[in-house]
Amino acid sequence: MNAPAPAEGSNRAWLLVGGSVVAALLLVGIYFAAGGASYTPEKTQDPCKHRPWSNPESLGDFANQFSVSALDGAACQLGVSREALAQALATPEAREEFLDRYDISDKELARAIRASLLRTVDDAEQAGALSPLLADPLRSFLKQIPLDQAIELVNDASSLLSSAEGFLGPAGALLEQFLP
Amino acid sequence: MALAAVPAALIARRAGPGRTAAVGLAVFAGAGLACGVADELSTLILARCVQALGGAAAVTASLELLPATVGSERRATVIWASAGATGAALGPAVGGILTELISWQSIFLLQVPVALAAAVPIFSVARHEAATGIIDTELRQTGRPHLWANVALAMVSAAIAAALFLLVLLLIEGWRLSPIGAAIVVSVMPLAAILGSRLDAHVPDARARAAAGAILVSGGLGGLALLPSAKVVLTLPPQILVGIGLALVLSALTETALGGRAPQAIHGGWTISARHAGVVIGLLALTPVFTADIAQQREDAIDAGTAVILDSKVDPLLKLSLAEKISDRLDDEKGKVPTIGPAFEPLPENEDERAEVETLQDELQDQLDRGATHAFSPSFGLAALIGLLALIPIGLSRRVDL
Repeated sequence: MNAPAPAEGSNRAWLLVGGSVVAALLLVGIYFAAGGASYTPEKTQDPCKHRPWSNPESLGDFANQFSVSALDGAACQLGVSREALAQALATPEAREEFLDRYDISDKELARAIRASLLRTVDDAEQAGALSPLLADPLRSFLKQIPLDQAIELVNDASSLLSSAEGFLGPAGALLEQFLP
Repeated sequence: MALAAVPAALIARRAGPGRTAAVGLAVFAGAGLACGVADELSTLILARCVQALGGAAAVTASLELLPATVGSERRATVIWASAGATGAALGPAVGGILTELISWQSIFLLQVPVALAAAVPIFSVARHEAATGIIDTELRQTGRPHLWANVALAMVSAAIAAALFLLVLLLIEGWRLSPIGAAIVVSVMPLAAILGSRLDAHVPDARARAAAGAILVSGGLGGLALLPSAKVVLTLPPQILVGIGLALVLSALTETALGGRAPQAIHGGWTISARHAGVVIGLLALTPVFTADIAQQREDAIDAGTAVILDSKVDPLLKLSLAEKISDRLDDEKGKVPTIGPAFEPLPENEDERAEVETLQDELQDQLDRGATHAFSPSFGLAALIGLLALIPIGLSRRVDL
């Protein structure tokens, strides 16, 4: 191919540089507008932010809400995220690591969980998700749980969400007893 | 390679390019064989170092041999520069295919016959040099290397290294593609590079081509930093820009670095040194950023995944069982992004329950994909910035119309 004339060569040079700038800006602009800057894992929610109870459709639904609410309350009191607490309660090793990382004692953890369980019953009752007929005995039961039993509830964890299993085990059993 | 290129070029100048290229190719082939049969990492690294010495000798000496073959020094420079750019773009794709179809060792073993075949025509030149004692190269005074062109080459090479290596890592480790799948995806880059190299003939201004190339490489990397979803198809437009850009910028800067300078082998050696030093510096600069980000994103993705599980309406007992299996998969993968599908099998028979579980699976996978993709964003963004900063030395390099 013959070399282009100088003026034509200069035009082509400007065209190439200009075209490159447009192409680069266009791509970056489109990807940005399509949400490229916010394509990140969802941020965890503030556990201290109140989550309203909805009317449970089943025992499973109640158990889910109860678990989440209890985790929220305990996490809020301990100043950690709900997700971090749920992971910590999965295994004894995870719990130890969590306590070391956040400089929390076993007693503080158990106290927070027990208090949160009681608050959860209150919240469920206030929201009309739990009948007072069920709430009162449940509250009495939870009040009687000694500190070490609250820790036991946590220690029973055997998976990522074992905290929920811990909470729901006795709660579920009680509910079943009081359900018609 | 970065350290050996200039000394190898000096040897080529003294001992003759034919002999140097022949010996270089033989060393390259022998070391390639050693790489292919290496059973220890230390042996592989040592053999790779030896291979770099042979490669440096062959590549720089070939620049002295090319003018006789292609007719002019100018044309030789253009071909040599284009070959380097195409090779850089082609490497990851060919490597991925060979690794998947045969083995990683095959990458090195296949180099042996290729290097030996390349050495055959050079032997006659080497014999001529040995017999006559005449070196067919004019021993001209070595001029100073083109500082700005070589600095720019190092910077764009650092940026291109990010595009090539990080994209392959994202596809395989982040999005769980097979090596051959990733190789097919990144083959877009060399194809675009071939397209980009065709622009060379239409725009004689090397500085304009270098600037356009650096802008395209940076734009492509910017696109990779802003991927709006974990979809392979979204990597294609950025790859096209990077491919065209790298062909333009590498060849233009190499031509600028060599233009009007002699001897070609030594200045070619400087460009090889600059490019490889750029790759090393780029990886050294980007790896800590990348590893820190991937650890953070993994943590964020696990938190987000935990939130998805906690908020899911799936039956609590099923949820607990799923969480346990997912947790096991995370442990098994040891820091890699897991494929969570098997944790959800078998799906519940109840239609409503199955729909809820499938929704949970999709949401969890989305969080993992978001984490894996975003972990690469800062590194791609930093590489884009390095590519843009290369415009400064490109602007300072004098205009050379070849």
